[in-house]
Amino acid sequence: MEHFKIENLTFSYPAASDRTVLKNVNLTIQKGEYIVLCGKSGSGKTTLLRHLKTVLTPHGSRTGQVLFHNTPLDRIGSGEQAARIGYVMQNPDDQIVTDKVWHELAFGLECLGCDQQTMRARVAEMACYFGIQDWFHRDVNALSGGQKQLLNLASIMAMQPEVLILDEPTSQLDPIAASDFLNTIRKINTELGTTVIVTEHRLEDIFPYADRVVVMKNGEIIADDAPGTIGKYLYEQKEELFLAMPTPMRVFYSAKGTGTCPLTVREGRKWLNRTVPDELMVRALPEQPVYDVQQKPVLTVKELWFRYEKNGPDILRGVSGQVPAGSLYAIVGGNGAGKSTLLKVLCGLNRPYRGKIKLFGKPLEQYKPEELFRNGVSMLPQDPKSLFVKKTVREELLEMDTDEKRLEQVSEICQITAVLDSHPYDLSGGEQQRAALAKVLLTQPRLLLLDEPTKGMDSFFKETFASVLQKLKQQGITVVMVSHDVEFCAQYADRVSMFFDGQLLSTGTPRQFFGANSFYTTAASRMSRGVFENAVTAGAVAELCRLNLEEQK
Amino acid sequence: MMEQDAFGKCHPAVNFLFFVGAIGFGVLIQHPVYLAAGALCAGIYYMLLHGAQGWKRILQLLPLFVLLTLINPLFNIQGERVLFDVFGRPYTLEALIYGADVAGIFVVMLLWFGCYNRILTGDKFTSLFGNWIPAISLLLVMVFRMVPGLMGKSKQIAAARRSVGKGVGTSTRQKLDAGMAVLSALISWALEGSVVTGDSMRARGYGTAKRTSFQLYRMTVRDGLLLATMMFLGASVIGVAVMGGMGAEFTPRLQIAPVSGWSVLGLAAYCLFLLIPTAMHCKEALQWSISKLKI
Repeated sequence: MEHFKIENLTFSYPAASDRTVLKNVNLTIQKGEYIVLCGKSGSGKTTLLRHLKTVLTPHGSRTGQVLFHNTPLDRIGSGEQAARIGYVMQNPDDQIVTDKVWHELAFGLECLGCDQQTMRARVAEMACYFGIQDWFHRDVNALSGGQKQLLNLASIMAMQPEVLILDEPTSQLDPIAASDFLNTIRKINTELGTTVIVTEHRLEDIFPYADRVVVMKNGEIIADDAPGTIGKYLYEQKEELFLAMPTPMRVFYSAKGTGTCPLTVREGRKWLNRTVPDELMVRALPEQPVYDVQQKPVLTVKELWFRYEKNGPDILRGVSGQVPAGSLYAIVGGNGAGKSTLLKVLCGLNRPYRGKIKLFGKPLEQYKPEELFRNGVSMLPQDPKSLFVKKTVREELLEMDTDEKRLEQVSEICQITAVLDSHPYDLSGGEQQRAALAKVLLTQPRLLLLDEPTKGMDSFFKETFASVLQKLKQQGITVVMVSHDVEFCAQYADRVSMFFDGQLLSTGTPRQFFGANSFYTTAASRMSRGVFENAVTAGAVAELCRLNLEEQK
Repeated sequence: MMEQDAFGKCHPAVNFLFFVGAIGFGVLIQHPVYLAAGALCAGIYYMLLHGAQGWKRILQLLPLFVLLTLINPLFNIQGERVLFDVFGRPYTLEALIYGADVAGIFVVMLLWFGCYNRILTGDKFTSLFGNWIPAISLLLVMVFRMVPGLMGKSKQIAAARRSVGKGVGTSTRQKLDAGMAVLSALISWALEGSVVTGDSMRARGYGTAKRTSFQLYRMTVRDGLLLATMMFLGASVIGVAVMGGMGAEFTPRLQIAPVSGWSVLGLAAYCLFLLIPTAMHCKEALQWSISKLKI
């Protein structure tokens, strides 16, 4: 039974009618399928998803049609569509309409004019299924991002839709909340048989469970196949999207593996054990250069203690450490552990009640604000939007520095020259992040603090962003970032520290650090544990495979 | 969310009617005996709800009471018994008593509103009016949702700007500029968010059918009985008032209706009405301690 049938859909926005956002899209979605839609930002994924619900369909010129149960979608009433087609968007916060959890759960049912009995039953059912009972009476403002997104999902499921459409639902969540959320989606699909269509950056978590993967590029569907075979196609076509594939898959194809392609870490381990010989010639990659800490630390902190309120709990409980000049220093750790608080203390926004901070060899409290933030330290906040106050990106930059030449330089480094005259809110997530970075860089910092810089970025933007960071490092800027993104830190950081219980524990190079961890580490490290010693990225595992196989010959 | 007491767990309509009665009668009846009764009942319930801190807050109201009392005769010079002259104007006993009465009414209002905030929370209020005026009730709910969110965001923006060295100036001009920048950023952010909220509402069928309203609170037989009792007591108070049992004139001459004979009934009804929440609170506390004793 067909759910959706998209026939020859072509679409362009009225403002840019020469640029077609969707080109001749044909897609059939069967009942109960789990479909992952992937592609770079701007490849038309969101536009396509929005065509599956009439009230969200954008205005513009369109040919072709969308059929729902063999009826053109726009001939089905919006009330019926609201109930049968559920749609979850990206931003967990803005989707919520009411102030209480229970009211939000009931909102859709209220709109559809359900009677009291039905509403009670459905709301109770949903609260139990999603484990919301404990926070049923709470204010939505008191919820975490993960809880908010779960609430959005639950309030849509309360209307009992047949199809669930999710547009990058986890991009604003931390990895643990994201994987919880995606597990819930899988549960809905397997236990209730609800059709799921999802776009995601975090393919690692959903690839193994998807029935089909649909790949989009420049508004066209370039591939539509089972997850196992899609990697092969992308690898052979040398598509950039290959970078977004799960680690075991990338290792398999990069090392020219044979047999069926592994999708999960478990399958990856099996494959690796089968492939490499028992007696390894090369077990580990050479150690990464260790920065000489004694020589020139940019930042030294000793025994920092901090809490927000007099009677509140201590957030920092004796943080000590040194950041070597010119390094990219990553601090990883759980959610709400106080990593962001640490950054605020480091740039003088919050004052520790005990301990010392030395910045460029001078105690932090001896700096005047104008001295500290001019050619000193600067911080990129977690949400780039909190830095935007003007109408165009250019004005944003001019606010920081009126020197045209420097402005040009910085926008070139951050690769935002093309969007200088756009409104900051019209940029994509990755562009916003880089525009905000440009703004921060115009204070000419020698120490740059980044708070979760890769949040919401897809793998291409991450790579672009990493190259920007490399350029900054070459200019002698030291970077300290806090992040959940272990894959990014493993690949690009020079030193990694674990933040736990208000302290910095176990510092080392990514190979030392992630090589020694067995849970809090990258998929590549988990996959190669016990076989190789310090392979923490997909590239490293593939490299070691290749070396050993060559030796064998 | 704060735990509710026995009265707070009743249907919002019961809570609402009580406060309409307590505050309405409190303002309209100026009779000093009724005022004293009201102050006593309000004070007791306020302390039951706020615990040890209640004492402090009530004591903090005393200076206000004294101040309001002393000020009235300065503006109101009517009255027979002149105590002394201030700025060449008579300061009369009647005006002083009247001042005390009005100040008392004001303090009692503050106490009742203190209880109101604890009992009739925002969601109870909106659920109460959700059925009658759905559009306004939804609007209120969305405002309740937006305001704390915007406050949080404005703090976030200010912090983000300070971390790049903006908005750290100390002069009034600089502070004003910093405030304007935060405000303009906040508006863009809120507008963008409201587009998403609008999409989310339409995606869930807003405007496709006649809205119903989810009732979290159910009207039970006990709630009905409470409502009936409250209406009966309230009607008795009004009846006695209409018959002139609560008349009180302060200036130019004190003329206060005596509370005796039939008009005692009015005072009794008024006290019973005001003591309903206190009685329910105490009954529950007593039940718990008895059942603990049995263990």
